[in-house]
Amino acid sequence: MSELVIETRGLRKVFATRHGPRVAVDNLDLSVAQGGVHGFLGPNGSGKTTTIRMLLGLASATAGTMRLFDTEVPEGLPQVIARVGAVVESPKFSPNFSGEQNLSLLARAVGLDPNRIDQALDAVGLGRRGQDLYRSYSLGMKQRLAIAATLLKEPRLLILDEPTNGLDPAGIREIRDTIRALGASGVTVLLSSHILAEVQQVCDAATIIGNGRVLTTGRVADLLSEAGHRHRFRVADEAAAERVLAAAGLSVSRSPEGLVVESAHPDDVVKTLAGHDLWVTEITPVRRDLEAVFLDLTRAETLNPGRP
Amino acid sequence: MKRLLHTELTRLRWRRAVLVLMLLALALPLLLLAGEAWNTRPISEADLAQAQVEIDAMNAENERYIAECLDDPESYGIDPERAEQECEGMYAAPTPEEWLFRPTLDLASVREGAGLALVTILALVAGVVGTTFVGHDWASGSMSNQLLFEPRRARVWLAKALAVVLGTVVVAAVSILLFWAGAALVAQVRDIETSADTWSQILATQARGLVLIGSVGLGGYALTTLLRSTVASLGVLFGAVVVSSMLLAILLGVNAERWLLPTNVFAFVLGGYDYYTGNEVSCDADGNCTGMSRLHTGQAAIYLACLVVPTVVASLWSFRRRDVP
Repeated sequence: MSELVIETRGLRKVFATRHGPRVAVDNLDLSVAQGGVHGFLGPNGSGKTTTIRMLLGLASATAGTMRLFDTEVPEGLPQVIARVGAVVESPKFSPNFSGEQNLSLLARAVGLDPNRIDQALDAVGLGRRGQDLYRSYSLGMKQRLAIAATLLKEPRLLILDEPTNGLDPAGIREIRDTIRALGASGVTVLLSSHILAEVQQVCDAATIIGNGRVLTTGRVADLLSEAGHRHRFRVADEAAAERVLAAAGLSVSRSPEGLVVESAHPDDVVKTLAGHDLWVTEITPVRRDLEAVFLDLTRAETLNPGRP
Repeated sequence: MKRLLHTELTRLRWRRAVLVLMLLALALPLLLLAGEAWNTRPISEADLAQAQVEIDAMNAENERYIAECLDDPESYGIDPERAEQECEGMYAAPTPEEWLFRPTLDLASVREGAGLALVTILALVAGVVGTTFVGHDWASGSMSNQLLFEPRRARVWLAKALAVVLGTVVVAAVSILLFWAGAALVAQVRDIETSADTWSQILATQARGLVLIGSVGLGGYALTTLLRSTVASLGVLFGAVVVSSMLLAILLGVNAERWLLPTNVFAFVLGGYDYYTGNEVSCDADGNCTGMSRLHTGQAAIYLACLVVPTVVASLWSFRRRDVP
């Protein structure tokens, strides 16, 4: 098993609100192995950003432990922060300074080589706009400047919270390629995103959370295969077939193209239906994507919060 | 820490609002000095001639009133038997020097007037610099970005605080130096002697003034770091000065002056300040007065420390403990 770069155990965050305490993260166990791109998925308000903010020392945990590079944080954050680059939520820079000035202040604070500023700006395609005021940047440019700031430190762990927000298609592709390249080069990337197709394309592994809890985690390929094998069956009498299959304990749902049955063995389904004189005319495997897995898991979590 | 301090000083220097305030702080002594020099300028021959013209014009008018007074002294409330003496006395013509009344430049008085005003205004500027400097970090959200590079919050707090104090004190020192160098030059040009004792009082006043300016800058910074908003911070500062003064005046009446912020600021900077404790003031030949009391530097320092120190402690505690947006 490869070394863990991020590890949380029993992580919990409770916010005090006017309406009483609100649990944002609840007993979260997150493990991110070294290297590759790890997707961090969850609906809005599921606790992704809060988790990231706790890992980076911007928010305190109510309970639980966190480790980055096997170092307890936030206590050990000063020892590991040089290896961590992060963009949390929207880019946050001083609007009246140029992009270069903003990066320069960050670099100076920790004694980074000033030459890295130009390199970082070039890496995100802002080389020629570095002297312009940050407030004159488009949202996409602001996002790219935030990524440039993470590259200043030559990080071994990159935490990106919705990094392609506001980017045009070309920009999105550029950032995705950058993320892929970083992942391939041995940098660990934790990518929080609500664009599930993006995560599926870019990530090697993913963790899906809901209501502050981990719903599932693993390699993306495994998540897709574990999510169940579905097949679509065409039968003359769909209502009767649905009753028979439900009575046999199978998960069945109707779609305009036929009955969708959750089963890894379509031949058993055919046999069961044939036993009741119901004949299948067509079988089609249903390909599931991460979005379907995500929606199933988060819907179940919404309906039955806290149930495994 | 040195690196962080250097970074924060650069950030302070790059902030346009801070730059404008600093330029204002440097222009201020020139304005005050110009006003002081103008108000105490020597009376010239031309001034005297102009004054005489104005007095003559007034006398012509007065002649009419004197004649009216002599005709009907009772309507002026004057005993007819003394009319000749008193009617003329009422409209006695001033000399040109009296007409022009203009004080001579006196650096001891400047210390208590324009010198104190300079320190007070510089302290206000320092408070606004401290507030706007860090308020911008909170408003833009860049504070969290900074903490992603340097997560040791106490160091970040301290570096920013030191930058505010250093920046405001250095600019204020230059401003004060400009003012007193200019005042000394004007005095020298006018052949006005200033005693060593007066200069030593001026030096002590301005040194305490710099302490006040640094403290107000630090207080403004600390308060804004605590409240995380420039507007809220300025609101609290306004409340502290204006609303608390009104409340104290209502609650304590004539005894409120001891507890007013301006009284304590003046006492601290000037090295003591006499304030009213009663409605009637009477003084004997030795200058001992009833109805007045003296507030000493130490008492004023304790009062001001009671405002600044808790704010600083709460600010640092809050910055280290609270979540950063």
